[in-house]
Amino acid sequence: MNAQQHAALIVAGLRRAGIEFVATLPDEKMVEVVRAVDQDRDLKHVPLCREEEGIGICAGAYLAGKKTALVMQNAGFLNSCNALTTTSLQFQIPTLLLIYYAGDIGDRGFTTLGSVTEPVLHAMGIRAYVLRKTDDIDETLCGAQILADDSKRPVAVLLTKSVLGVK
Amino acid sequence: MQRYDCLKAIAQDTGNALAVCTGWGAREWWALRPSEGNLKTRTLGLVSSIAAGLALALPRRKVIAIDGDGAFLMNLCGLPTIALQNPENLIHLLFDNECYEASGGTATASSVADAVTLAKGAGYKHAAWVESPGEFRAAFVQAWKRNELSLIAAKVEPGQPADLPSLRLDEIENKFRFMRYVEETEKKNILNPGFDSKL
Repeated sequence: MNAQQHAALIVAGLRRAGIEFVATLPDEKMVEVVRAVDQDRDLKHVPLCREEEGIGICAGAYLAGKKTALVMQNAGFLNSCNALTTTSLQFQIPTLLLIYYAGDIGDRGFTTLGSVTEPVLHAMGIRAYVLRKTDDIDETLCGAQILADDSKRPVAVLLTKSVLGVK
Repeated sequence: MQRYDCLKAIAQDTGNALAVCTGWGAREWWALRPSEGNLKTRTLGLVSSIAAGLALALPRRKVIAIDGDGAFLMNLCGLPTIALQNPENLIHLLFDNECYEASGGTATASSVADAVTLAKGAGYKHAAWVESPGEFRAAFVQAWKRNELSLIAAKVEPGQPADLPSLRLDEIENKFRFMRYVEETEKKNILNPGFDSKL
């Protein structure tokens, strides 16, 4: 399978999880996911200029009844920490965070970012699941969405190179 | 002219529009237009983004963002995002008092950064300064009828009336009541649709 096919599985998983509204800011490794979101007519796609505004946009859409996801790199997650804390967590607003795990095992260039990602998620009380295998996509995305919806909190799914089908 | 004078000029013209507020403007807006469709945000800067998310999710419902210069400047990157989506039902109000009023009153950069120019540069087709409450109302009514994304900006003096009632709302309560209001007025289930079933 190539990256496009992996991306198609991930976006199909998002739809199966009930996601209708997706804000994105691409990482090179997940660009096919962003393209697939953009081409899916059943998903409202909002491309962002900075990830933190995406927390606001997804919060507004949630208040109006949409199930939302935010696709970004882990640097973008760090950019979003204030909004996640003072909007998502403080107002009890769920959103699915699909985060490319730069600096994960086997990934060069962002090891500092990789090393702080899970500790920061943990410190914020955001439950996080690392997704490595395509076989686990549906179960993880559907489960994470149920968890987000029921706990009224953001839930993070960290996407690795292997599940994205990239090197 | 203060923010309150402008808000007072439009309070009767906002129907069942959803209104998202920030800073001290919230207390004024609640006093002028008490409604379950008012929401006060917490994160500095996100009022326009939250309003945009609402507007995109409810494209046939008017949504008003009541923004301030501190928040506006913090979230400049949100402007092109909103302009790209171009929600026709969003009216973005900006009260520019050139200071962080709710954070102690020190100066923002808005004495040199022109908000209307910034909004137009970001892609807002309609953005204009107004100079009186009468002009503010006229611009608001025009934006409402035009039904296209619009920014209306006013330079205002800091301060607000001293006798405004405080908001007797917890912010989580505000959120839930706001969502229930959206449910009722949009005729849809949002919160826990399966709570009393086996869903």
